[in-house]
Amino acid sequence: MAHRRCLLSLARYATAIISQKKMPPLSAVEVLTRKPNPAITIPNSELSWFSLWSHSRHFSSSKSEDSETEVEVEMEEASDVEAEHDNAASDLGRDYSPVEKEAEAAAIGYKVLGPLQRSDRVFKDYEPVFAVVQIGSHQFKVSNGDSIFTERLKFCEVNDKLILNKVLLLGSPTQTIIGRPILPDAAVHAVVEEHALDAKVIIFKKKRRKNYRRTKGHRQELTKLRITDIQGIEKQEIKTDGKPLKAAVKNPEKIAAAV
Amino acid sequence: MALRGVWQLKKLIVSYCDWGGSSRGIRAFMESELPTFKEKNPQLEVVTELIRGQHPHLKGFYKNKNERVVCVKNMTPEDILLYGTRLRNALGRKVVKLKTRHVTKHPSVQGTWTTDVKF
Repeated sequence: MAHRRCLLSLARYATAIISQKKMPPLSAVEVLTRKPNPAITIPNSELSWFSLWSHSRHFSSSKSEDSETEVEVEMEEASDVEAEHDNAASDLGRDYSPVEKEAEAAAIGYKVLGPLQRSDRVFKDYEPVFAVVQIGSHQFKVSNGDSIFTERLKFCEVNDKLILNKVLLLGSPTQTIIGRPILPDAAVHAVVEEHALDAKVIIFKKKRRKNYRRTKGHRQELTKLRITDIQGIEKQEIKTDGKPLKAAVKNPEKIAAAV
Repeated sequence: MALRGVWQLKKLIVSYCDWGGSSRGIRAFMESELPTFKEKNPQLEVVTELIRGQHPHLKGFYKNKNERVVCVKNMTPEDILLYGTRLRNALGRKVVKLKTRHVTKHPSVQGTWTTDVKF
């Protein structure tokens, strides 16, 4: 019953508002007189207010008794923000032009080169060179032959070749190059090996004494990359890498001996 | 997935029923999507199999002798295509929780740091 009464009062206010709305400027007095109403009516009243006024924000601003122009500006901003949100939503609905795809990929830190061909000999033996690369918000210390699991990368298929271009650090047994924060002319080459789902994670929510339990499963999408090459540390280094290889083999023995 | 450029999924069995309602999606899938899927994946042997009175499923056989079965009852053709490509994109390893996201045979280039290392 109380509910119905509220609805009735609401309807009355609604008609009143519609009639008032036609008069252009809302004086502060009007706002003040109307202010108690939303407090009395139940939450669903806000909904109808919202649909009538198209912005619930008006309340918060009218409480502070701002000048009318400011309120309007705020409302415009709000609608702008909403429009942006709509755009973002439509973007998520996978309509990317190739340029946009490239930009997105660059923001994450990779560039797609195209599918791996049969004739490509990209898989090489291990070289004692490492790099720290950033993919999304994760950083990996990789050397060639490593495999890493990243969050699923968009716009790339299994067997595509990638260039990871956010290289933060390069190192060999004799040399270390540190980026500030990235090395623009360094590149790490990788091949997409797998798009797979991680093991299932169970999200279990429970509230004590309230007979409330929710169970939800989640499987994260991952991409497995294999690092094929690291570029940017000089060719000389790679040439001299033959010697350091032996040295590197010897060194651990020394260290072991020292320990 | 492809391990070092070698596709791991060898064979895909698409099993369906020609009568059941839960196979409606997969029948549409076989008409519309399956030919292009076959064309795009020449390395893959795709076999269709009629099992009457059973729900439809996809069965993948991997190079490491694992097999993976996905039930596709009451799914739309697009969903079935998604599951098919997931099977293709997978390596066929057992799904276990990853201990690390970085797998390497050579953990250190410049030498492992210990408390004894002086610079």
